[in-house]
Amino acid sequence: MTPAAAATAPARARRRVVALAGRPNTGKTTLFNALTGLRQRTANYAGCTVEKAVGTLAVDGREIEVVDLPGTFSLLPSTEDERVAFHFLSQAAAAGDDLLVLCVVEASNLANDLSLAAGLIEAGYPAAVAVNMIDEARQNGVSVDTAALGRTLRVPVLAVSARHGEGLPELRELLAGHGRAAAAPRDLSREAKHALQERQMRAVERAHEACAASVRLPRRALLPTIARSIRLDRVFLHPVAGPLLLLATMFALFQALFAGAQPLMDGLTGGLDAAAAALRAALPPGLFASLVCDGVVPGVAAVFVFVPQIAILFTLIGFLEQSGYLPRAAALVDRALRPFGLDGRVFIPFLSGFACAIPGVMAARTIPSEKRRIVAVMLTPLMTCSARLPVYTLLISAFVPASFRPWGFNGQGVAMTGLYLFAVVCALALALVLKNTPLYEKDPMPAALLPPYRLPQPKELARYVGTRCWHFLSRAGQVIFVVSIALWLLAAFPRRAPVAGESAAVAAAAQVEQSALGRAGRLIEPVFRPLGWDWRLSVASLSALAAREVFVGTLGTLYALEGSPEDGGLAAALRDAREPDGSPRYTLATALGLLMFFAVALQCISTIATVRRELGSWRWALGQFAAYFALAYALAFAAYRVAS
Amino acid sequence: MQDPMTLEKAAWDLPVRVTGFSGVGDSERARLAGMGLHVGETVVKLLAAPLGDPIECLVGQQLLALDKSLVARIRVEAA
Repeated sequence: MTPAAAATAPARARRRVVALAGRPNTGKTTLFNALTGLRQRTANYAGCTVEKAVGTLAVDGREIEVVDLPGTFSLLPSTEDERVAFHFLSQAAAAGDDLLVLCVVEASNLANDLSLAAGLIEAGYPAAVAVNMIDEARQNGVSVDTAALGRTLRVPVLAVSARHGEGLPELRELLAGHGRAAAAPRDLSREAKHALQERQMRAVERAHEACAASVRLPRRALLPTIARSIRLDRVFLHPVAGPLLLLATMFALFQALFAGAQPLMDGLTGGLDAAAAALRAALPPGLFASLVCDGVVPGVAAVFVFVPQIAILFTLIGFLEQSGYLPRAAALVDRALRPFGLDGRVFIPFLSGFACAIPGVMAARTIPSEKRRIVAVMLTPLMTCSARLPVYTLLISAFVPASFRPWGFNGQGVAMTGLYLFAVVCALALALVLKNTPLYEKDPMPAALLPPYRLPQPKELARYVGTRCWHFLSRAGQVIFVVSIALWLLAAFPRRAPVAGESAAVAAAAQVEQSALGRAGRLIEPVFRPLGWDWRLSVASLSALAAREVFVGTLGTLYALEGSPEDGGLAAALRDAREPDGSPRYTLATALGLLMFFAVALQCISTIATVRRELGSWRWALGQFAAYFALAYALAFAAYRVAS
Repeated sequence: MQDPMTLEKAAWDLPVRVTGFSGVGDSERARLAGMGLHVGETVVKLLAAPLGDPIECLVGQQLLALDKSLVARIRVEAA
């Protein structure tokens, strides 16, 4: 070690941590991305399992850890996001890190944004202020005297534009500079409520004073960005045009999701099938080849094909989110949801839930009431997620005859629409039930911010979509990988000696039937017999506990049709399956019951794990699973009995 | 005694000043202050969502959607 390096070693022992704090919509995440570039990862916050974005910033060879804290309005945490942010700050202060809180504020809204900064500074946190979106403020005619602001707040203040890189070199230098060896900051999470309230009111006052001394607003009272937003709101919240535009947006979203993703998904499926075939040809035949080609590859491919859909969904939701439309959509539906004990804030989790319950459950974090958040997490998995689609498609095409044309409409399409409506009706009905439990809270937070409309930046949007897709792949991928190997093992052992003269398909079916999986299926068959399911449907539904779409793959294996390129083969096999006495094995009643079951049951290990993580206890996650299983069973039983 | 003027009764598109809150607890008041809604702030009632609730207001230099129930509890005076 050189003498110079040895001299800096003690300084390195105390790690410099920069935490970005600020209200939502101040461009915190854009600034985080601009500072850390691709050197990012996600990690869990200490003490809880909510994910945080962490990046590193290198200045003069020194590595600085940068953490993007969730958006925070006040010193009194009211959302899970805010609790996480304050928890992190007190932990970092207690851990003795060289902490610097970089308060990110929007230049055009300083008076409001600065109150958090003022509060943290007063509580003794070493802080600096980044006055972001300074370019937009200039266009608004707002001028900020950062030097005067710094003198009033007694912390460094810099004007930056995270979008255009303005002021970032200076900011990097500031972040690398030596932090004040401040006395230990106060642990706000342990402070009494009334003390926090006083602190908050003082902070608001101080922010206004600081602003009055250093900000010059244009002569006209209304900022151009706000004036434009109001003009747009007069359209988007118009009594007639508003709801119509929301409907059109939703329609376009679902069209893009299903029609737009289909060619991509088909292409991907074709490519993956070709890859699997090439792999099968390359590997010597035997158990290993079977494990890879019948177990791992189809399992992982089943997840992979959903990536285009997830990408399209998040591109659209990201666009709506970054443009500022989503809070307006929430305001639009707010009143309509109140009678059900819900409010506009559940709209975003529900909307995301139509693609996948996992981002939906995570989106509930911004709901400023613990009880309302739990309700949203409980109901979101009922939304018709994309994993239910393959199951619905298979069962509808097998059991709803093409000749069924109610009022001249395509009957299969009507059935699909009915299932989507059923999910919403079911969620609202359950919301009514929850309204009569202690989980109901009247009007939790009566104010919501409507940020100015902004055109999303392609770069930010691409990054948002990329991160979400990667999360989906890594999280769901791991589960499916393990489950598909387990399923294969259960179906492959114990081995059965082949009988001379039988076809490969018959041999495969017989192998599955006497395998551990087949035996387990017969064992549980009595449980599902009242629903009209035989052991094959029972096994397929059980294997779909991992992920719903596995149902189709398992049935495919069981009917020795695996590798058959289209669903038509399997649908026909299900329709034509006969019991030894010649009666059809499955009827429309069986299919109806199955559809009810899949619409309600929480068959998704990833969702259960996400709920457990978001609500912090297995009690909620397993309770939810059990309740939905019971409800699904009851509905399936009722549908089967009534229809037959 | 005359009822105090509330934001609910205030005219649309005319600025008023917040003078106080009725029936709003201390911690909710502190939270609203964090959102920018506090005594002394100028508020303009802009428009109601299609079902009449919430109501979009210009609060200082930002837009907030306020529940009708809250709007009735905000005391205001002409600005």
